[in-house]
Amino acid sequence: MRVNVAKITNLSADIWELVLNGPFPYDSIQAGQFVNIRIGENYDHILRRPISIAAVDRIKQRMTIVLRAVGAGTKWLSERRVGDSLDVLGPLGHGFPIQSTAGAVLIVGGGIGVPPLYLLAKELQPIVGQLDILLGFRDQQDCFWLDKFAPLGNVTIATEDGSVGKKGYVTEAIVAEPYYEKKWQYLYSCGPTSMLRAIKELFVETQVKGYVSLEERMACGVGACYGCVCSSENKQAAKRICKEGPVFDWREVTL
Amino acid sequence: MNKPDLTVDLAGLVLKNPVMPASGCFGYGREYAQYYALETLGAVVVKATTLEPWLGNATPRVTEVRGGMLNAIGLANPGLQKVVQEELVWLSTQNVPIIVNVAGRTEDEYCQVSEAIANCELAHAVELNVSCPNVKCGGISFGVDPHVLQDLVQMVKRVCALPLFVKLSPNVTSIGDMAQAAEQGGADGISLINTLIGMEINIHRRKPVLANGIGGLSGPGIKPVAVRMVYQAAKVVSIPIIGMGGIFTGADAIEFMMAGATAVMVGTANFTDPYACPTIIDQIKEFMVDNAITSLAEIRGCVL
Ligand SMILES: Cc1cc2nc3c(=O)[nH]c(=O)nc-3n(C[C@H](O)[C@H](O)[C@H](O)COP(=O)(O)OP(=O)(O)OC[C@H]3O[C@@H](n4cnc5c(N)ncnc54)[C@H](O)[C@@H]3O)c2cc1C
Ligand SMILES: Cc1cc2nc3c(=O)[nH]c(=O)nc-3n(C[C@H](O)[C@H](O)[C@H](O)COP(=O)(O)O)c2cc1C
Ligand code: FES
Repeated sequence: MRVNVAKITNLSADIWELVLNGPFPYDSIQAGQFVNIRIGENYDHILRRPISIAAVDRIKQRMTIVLRAVGAGTKWLSERRVGDSLDVLGPLGHGFPIQSTAGAVLIVGGGIGVPPLYLLAKELQPIVGQLDILLGFRDQQDCFWLDKFAPLGNVTIATEDGSVGKKGYVTEAIVAEPYYEKKWQYLYSCGPTSMLRAIKELFVETQVKGYVSLEERMACGVGACYGCVCSSENKQAAKRICKEGPVFDWREVTL
Repeated sequence: MNKPDLTVDLAGLVLKNPVMPASGCFGYGREYAQYYALETLGAVVVKATTLEPWLGNATPRVTEVRGGMLNAIGLANPGLQKVVQEELVWLSTQNVPIIVNVAGRTEDEYCQVSEAIANCELAHAVELNVSCPNVKCGGISFGVDPHVLQDLVQMVKRVCALPLFVKLSPNVTSIGDMAQAAEQGGADGISLINTLIGMEINIHRRKPVLANGIGGLSGPGIKPVAVRMVYQAAKVVSIPIIGMGGIFTGADAIEFMMAGATAVMVGTANFTDPYACPTIIDQIKEFMVDNAITSLAEIRGCVL
């Protein structure tokens, strides 16, 4: 599918926001799903790059992605101009299950794992009673979209150097909450695997239902190559992050 | 002008066009069936199938490199029984010939799987992936010693009634010797090339990028090697050849046919564009029309 760049904004040193419009099944997007984007029109980059869908406007029929320029592919994406077209596949994978009943929810994001949680928070807000959002970044330079999250719930920021919000990792901010083990019924998270693992350890003995979004290098992005697997706790056949995931029940996967 | 005729005959297996997805790059077809009807294809070649389930290697299993990609999937698959019951049963409803890629650690495993595939009556041909390490020979691949290869092919041929294609490894000194060994063993055809062994190192971490250390190189960069190997094999065998390695366009496919291939397989290109195979079929047709070619036999092996 060909979509167009409607807007491109530099959010911080190496983070870019792209608004995409043009024909795409916007109505079917679930928070946590991703698009797989072709890099260039020739064969210099033969693997697409997976990027999460961060926001969707179903009325205007457009979606937003946020990316960190870390290598050739994401750098190429950050250099697109308004009107350029992109070859995208999607929406791919399974997103976050959205519960239908009220209950206290904690959303934890880390770094470039934060964007898909914005779409999730927007979808959850009308349903849940209490939405606590905890976002971790390296430093002030690294922070983005704080204003967009602000109206969606009770937002706490943690930075490693303390330049914004609390100083330290998100897990430290969680443990600082009195009775944190009993405070929430649902937990949703996306970010570096080390962060997901630490969070899982904090809650794995509790009744909290948790969902995590995982990352792995991908080739096909559709479930055909078995390049992107993660191992499941019950040692059954490995699960494909691009197809069965990227969102998993945290009790199901080994982190 | 007459409509161009794209049909090809692979040792009695007639395909409506010469384009098939390569093993391991198309799963069992389900994922790509969402993008187009599989009956568009000449045939579908499924992932390597082994006797027992194989879990495969640790991740990262794939990485892009200049000119292609490296993979070390480790032939992960759910094993013979599940492949037949859950995948081939479904695929056989898609109105397209099925070629099952078979792998193993011992001759006996290859024989058992190939025999079962022939007996399940869902598949139309078997492709032997001989790039696997032979447990009995200290892990050296079956596909690098002509005697070992010929014996293996002979044994499988005895128990497998389907057309048998042997997929050759390019990691050998003389591809012609391996092609001849397969033919003498009784292969009905050969397919080549499998991936070239490669490696990439992350210089900041001072570690290989792939968890497995080394992996198979595929994609545009290997095409000249692959065309050369098809050409050399075509010079010494008379059984049909299926060419592959870096095919991304109809022109690439035509090149392989001119080097002697009867049909082609498309691997990595499916990842770049899920519509790669149907696009290549259309481009071959266009080339035939533009060049007044009525049958692919007219160009097959024209440079030999
Ligand atoms: C489901 C999913 C969602 C993602 N969402 C986002 C997002 O919203 N924003 C964002 O900035 N990034 C996201 N990523 C990570 C992003 O895909 C990688 O940063 C990107 O592929 C790197 O490509 P590159 O060419 O810039 O880097 P290079 O280092 O040049 O990439 C080289 C190769 O490594 C692969 N690769 C490197 N790092 C990763 C990684 N972390 N994950 C997957 N493949 C990788 C690339 O695909 C490529 O094949 C997501 C990854 C996944 C799996
Ligand atoms: C991710 C991946 C998985 C593969 N798995 C198999 C396999 O299971 N069996 C096999 O015979 N070849 C396998 N191959 C090799 C391809 O079938 C093909 O021979 C090779 O990739 C060269 O073609 P290409 O350049 O068009 O990809 C695999 C290749 C890739 C990239
Ligand atoms: S990237 Fe191919 S199976 Fe997930």
